[in-house]
Amino acid sequence: MRDLRNRPGLLTGRLSTKDSSLTFALYALSLLGALVISGALVAATGGSAPDVLSALLDGSVRSPGAWGLTLTTAAPLLLVAIGTIVATRAGLVNIGQEGQVLIGAAFAAYAAVRLGGPGWVVVTGALLFGAVGGGAWAGIAAGLRAWRNVPEVLTTLLLTFIAFPLVTFGLSQAALIADRDTTRQNQLNTGEIIPGTALLPDVHLFGNAIDSGFLVAIGLSAVLAYLISRTLLGTRVDMLGYNPRAAQRFGVAAGPLSAAVLIGSGATAGVAGAVLLTGGAAGDRLVFGFSGNFGWDGLLVALLARNRILVALPVALIFAMLRTGSSFLAATGVDRKVTEVVQALLVLALLIPPAVLFIRDRRRALRSSNQKTPATAPEAT
Amino acid sequence: MVSVQDRPSPASVAVSVRGLTKRYGDVVACSNVDLDLRRGEIHGVLGENGAGKSTLMKVLIGLVQPDSGTLTVDDARVRIDSPARAGALGIGMVHQHFSLVDELRVWENVVLGERERLDARHARGLVESIGEHYGLGVDPDARVGDLTAGMRQRVEIIKCLRRDPSIVIFDEPTSVLTPQESEQLFGVLRLAVERENKAVALVSHKLDEIRQATDTVTILRRGAVVEDGPTARFDQQSLAQAMIGRAVSLRGDDAAALGATDIVVTEATAASGPVTAPTVLAVENAVFDRYGHRVLDGLDLDVRAGEIVGIAGVEGNGQVELADVLSSLVTLDAGTVIVDGVVVPTGRAGAMGTAGVGMIPEDRHDAGCVLDMSVAENLALASVGVGSWLRRVDRAKNEADALRLIDEYEIRCSGPDAPFHSLSGGNQQRVVLARELSADPKVLVAAQPTRGLDVGAIEFMGEQLRAAAARGVGVLLISSELEEILHLADRILVLHAGRIVGEMNRTDADVERIGLLMGGVTTDTTTTEGEADA
Repeated sequence: MRDLRNRPGLLTGRLSTKDSSLTFALYALSLLGALVISGALVAATGGSAPDVLSALLDGSVRSPGAWGLTLTTAAPLLLVAIGTIVATRAGLVNIGQEGQVLIGAAFAAYAAVRLGGPGWVVVTGALLFGAVGGGAWAGIAAGLRAWRNVPEVLTTLLLTFIAFPLVTFGLSQAALIADRDTTRQNQLNTGEIIPGTALLPDVHLFGNAIDSGFLVAIGLSAVLAYLISRTLLGTRVDMLGYNPRAAQRFGVAAGPLSAAVLIGSGATAGVAGAVLLTGGAAGDRLVFGFSGNFGWDGLLVALLARNRILVALPVALIFAMLRTGSSFLAATGVDRKVTEVVQALLVLALLIPPAVLFIRDRRRALRSSNQKTPATAPEAT
Repeated sequence: MVSVQDRPSPASVAVSVRGLTKRYGDVVACSNVDLDLRRGEIHGVLGENGAGKSTLMKVLIGLVQPDSGTLTVDDARVRIDSPARAGALGIGMVHQHFSLVDELRVWENVVLGERERLDARHARGLVESIGEHYGLGVDPDARVGDLTAGMRQRVEIIKCLRRDPSIVIFDEPTSVLTPQESEQLFGVLRLAVERENKAVALVSHKLDEIRQATDTVTILRRGAVVEDGPTARFDQQSLAQAMIGRAVSLRGDDAAALGATDIVVTEATAASGPVTAPTVLAVENAVFDRYGHRVLDGLDLDVRAGEIVGIAGVEGNGQVELADVLSSLVTLDAGTVIVDGVVVPTGRAGAMGTAGVGMIPEDRHDAGCVLDMSVAENLALASVGVGSWLRRVDRAKNEADALRLIDEYEIRCSGPDAPFHSLSGGNQQRVVLARELSADPKVLVAAQPTRGLDVGAIEFMGEQLRAAAARGVGVLLISSELEEILHLADRILVLHAGRIVGEMNRTDADVERIGLLMGGVTTDTTTTEGEADA
């Protein structure tokens, strides 16, 4: 049992990079496999693979204004991913991002509609409210873990299924976030339209409108990447994730740090929700199901980035391309849901090589520890 | 002791191993090994850690398949491809590490893994009859988790003997026993060969045991047989020389490492006990419960600057928990720890280290290192918990420090950036030692520091501990190897059932008395604690 504590798993372990050619070949092979299966799927549903690819590229980067939309879509994915990465590095399994995003969006909606004042105050307030909402939601899991030792993997997930009806309830109460416009026919279960002054401004570049939420995501990523790689906080987080008993012995208490990291990862998911709402990527008002799988997909981004913050950016961009590109698929006669399958295949393809390498490394380690047994370890049977 | 000459009948060979070779990659664990186990004979297999003893025995029990060589059991060529096959051939093994389930009762453990219908009455009877036959009395209804290590080994032996194997292998059986319990065990082995005409193999790295308990001996070094023959032909000196491959003085470090207790004791010189030196570590009335068991029960001890205090005791009497307390890993239920005159709160992350307690842990992978960090990062672990979380990690300093320590402690690695897990066990241990000693501790705790090391590494560790004490560090040596304690410690404390039951200076050390104390027999009363029939 003790050994498990210091044995990194598939997600957090560093792979040996000695065989870079083997690693490359593995990735090439599994990506090729994913593409072949995707192509076969498209062909089977009556489409043509080149057409589909072309449509995906049109929708995500080639058509006018497309890449601006792609970057805007990447922002919440990246935000969710970086919080997840920090939590995973600390040895925590936060899988409740979808709920944290939704609660964050709901808090942001309240701020955007109810806070008065100049636009930048409202926008900043909305982002902060989002962070507080997401952080508080994850904070429930953090508290249960700290006081009652309840595994956060359960609580974060289950809290997601409480977040949905809770926000729906909020959308039914005028005192909370329900639409107060009585002239509308069906104002139940919808929030108020976010006023234009409360929206994150767009940055216009080469005819593309990029939501400044993307800049928020890039900025937060840079800050977290710095903290993780350069400061004592980062070393403490890694130490806690790799070996909590060594951490305890050398002055890093698991309790407060775990709680802070879990709340922090909820807060970044909450900011993602706020960016989603005030950036306009997911509509102009809070509605049921508003979080639109951004939480789950952000979790996958973190998984594929293998817990390196800087790698999360390109992965988030690819996921965003699949999302924006899928809207152009209708013309090819292929169901747009095919992108979800492609995305899933992509995830599998990118996870198989590290899994193979991990298993190989483990086998090697086992074999070499058998070798070393005579010289270095007690002659255990 | 029955010598080879007085054996009643010419011994028949039960198991014969010829030309056995087993490689792990480039490492040859066994090289062209020949071994004969005869009926009615206790056969010693002697060798250092890593000499190939365990591999050889694992081949016999079917856990390891040899690369080449032949096995003959009762004159028939056999292939032993699984422990079940070994069992069918009448080969049984009593493992060094117990394979018992703590939560189950003794009789349940004994029949665990059997395929026939469960018959509690029969199983209880079995435990009692085997116990009576061999003098291995144990209550069939006792919960194994409540038994002492010595009693658990009895259960393990009964479990092995109930299948009535004709060939029994004991792998380092005395590592969990008091000297008196070891004597008893050897009596049982003698009974098994004389009454039942069994063939018994006793695997050990201790000279005394081999000389005391075996009829014939095979000595392994680096995977090859270097000597074999009747034990009576060897004296301590020749056994040691064959085992290590060089002339040994059988004094000091070597004797301790080889388990030659008598030499260690007679050699002990008057320790110039620094009685006036200040106390650097005091543990007062420490009480700690783990899973409802009181594992530390009013433990008191103190260590002065410049002395080595040895804690002797059978494993499982609170050693692990004492080390955990001094590593800030657990919080005491009662009692205080005072380091250099200051009360240190137990269980507060990093508090012991900051107060000046260095630790060479029993299992360095538990809390002694971070396998996935670099050598430099592992050498700098103590600086991680100190200071603001926003402070930058000073990599240049860590690297410079690491280069210096790698040089000073002769750590073999590709550089400060080498991943810690890429180091061999001996070099990992050096990293731990370098980190703990370079932090300038007031107290150094060494928990089973030489376990699994070869004689050279054991000597290095002994030198380091003595050098630390000479610099004024108070050293607390927790070890279940009595020889190690007798050799290194200025003062000896005996730990039993979570408390110190005896104390003596090395000059008055008396192995007999220490052994009794380890078993819970205190000198002023004849009643025993925990283990009524030890």
